Amino acid sequence: MKPDPSRSLLALSSRETLRVTKLWSQTILAPVVSSFLFILVFGLSLGSRIREFEGFPYEVFIVPGLIAMAMAQAAFSNNSSSILQARNDRYINDVLAAPMHSWQMNLGLTVGGVFRALVIGIALMALAIPLTGVPVEQPLALFVAVALLVVVFGALGTVVGIYAKSFDHHSFVNNILILPLTFLGGVFYTVEILPPFWEAVSHLNPLFYIVNAVRYGFLGQSDVSIALSFAVTAAMALILVAWSQWLFATGHKLKP
Amino acid sequence: MQQLPPALSITGLSKTYEDGTAALAGLDLEVPAGEFFGLLGPNGAGKTTLINAVCNLIRTSSGEIRVFGHEHTTLEARRLVGVAEQDPNLDRFLAVRESLIYHGGYFGMPRREATARADEMIDAFDLRAKAGALTTKLSGGMKRRLTLARALLHRPRLVILDEPTAGVDIELRHDLWRYIRRLHQEGTTIVLTTHYLEEAESLCEDIALIARGAIVARDSADNLMRRFDAKTLEEVYLQTVSGRADAAGLAGLDAEVGA
Repeated sequence: MKPDPSRSLLALSSRETLRVTKLWSQTILAPVVSSFLFILVFGLSLGSRIREFEGFPYEVFIVPGLIAMAMAQAAFSNNSSSILQARNDRYINDVLAAPMHSWQMNLGLTVGGVFRALVIGIALMALAIPLTGVPVEQPLALFVAVALLVVVFGALGTVVGIYAKSFDHHSFVNNILILPLTFLGGVFYTVEILPPFWEAVSHLNPLFYIVNAVRYGFLGQSDVSIALSFAVTAAMALILVAWSQWLFATGHKLKP
Repeated sequence: MQQLPPALSITGLSKTYEDGTAALAGLDLEVPAGEFFGLLGPNGAGKTTLINAVCNLIRTSSGEIRVFGHEHTTLEARRLVGVAEQDPNLDRFLAVRESLIYHGGYFGMPRREATARADEMIDAFDLRAKAGALTTKLSGGMKRRLTLARALLHRPRLVILDEPTAGVDIELRHDLWRYIRRLHQEGTTIVLTTHYLEEAESLCEDIALIARGAIVARDSADNLMRRFDAKTLEEVYLQTVSGRADAAGLAGLDAEVGA
């Protein structure tokens, strides 16, 4: 029997998605509920007291950013924790010894986060669209933006999962880097209302461009050019995928 | 008749870890196809590092490893090797049967074939009662059985067993010996590391003693005892690996204590 690496990739991807579905209450339900509560509390409760943003009611304006944030955290957390656990328990050795290419290991271990983020994104859309009436003005742009988002954060999770020595490191990146940068990336506001200095600082935040790209897909409006948002997000995706691929190809941090 | 390439051919293999520990120092080793080969040595001698190098679980510093003629990093070589690591490393999110099926998938087996083979291994290693249990719920002995079943699932031609009987009960040890002997009779090459010298003596056709990252002696158990003028393999071990001149006395002392 000749080794068939496509079967290996399929098995690894399937294992990663199985992990997500087995732990569905943690991996799917909890983030959907918490993001939905954000929509309810910030959107529907406070929305009536906040003026419109960019011509949209507040509860509509915040939905794209909240969905983007939930998907980003899911893609990151899933891959980071799955790989860290596999390294700690050493069952990653079963994958590292298997007859598959390094890019297949990388892709297979990244698929879980992508799957989890997409399920959460679809669930939140299914809840938010009837509740708030948020439109999908640019479906193609939304598709591209979501694809880039899950690749960026899935690959970041893979990289952090390989470097992290404990769950503290994983939590540190999530709580100190991703969460604040997403909030400051304009999930709850448009950066145009900020003073000029802070608006300029916001433009240095790479997550600002991802939130904008997703918002453009939903609302058809963006704080910056959509081409720039896609370019910055694609560049991040490229860098992170190249980084994770390098780790699998060389065995750096994966193999002593 | 065309001669089979060696199951394992290692030339000048060195491995120095990041902390400066030189675990392997220019090791050369050849294991013929179909042989039952024993690798003996004290803790820290380099046995596990050698196994990890063959299985692509560490980055080697220098040297060459070939598995049945294939460079060890190639997909073909990887497919031919099955390893049961010293400490069970089971996927905590999978049940027993699932972990076998997924392992088959990682090694390129079609799902149906992997499932059938998983059931076969579950019966062979007496895991039927726990087939649906998560691996975290298994006892130590059951984990060991599953680790071995997984190593053999994809029908490797070279099976590497790193101290498979350490800490297991007599029943499992005998089951395992029986199964491994049968595999060997069917033509599978076995590389076994163990601290039980009597196990190596009874199972292995060829034994290598490893110390400080290099092979210090290699032959059949009988020839080793003859060559080192020893009555037991333990004496050979103490002379070669530990460098003890009083090996005969120590081995005798062990025998008395054991008696």
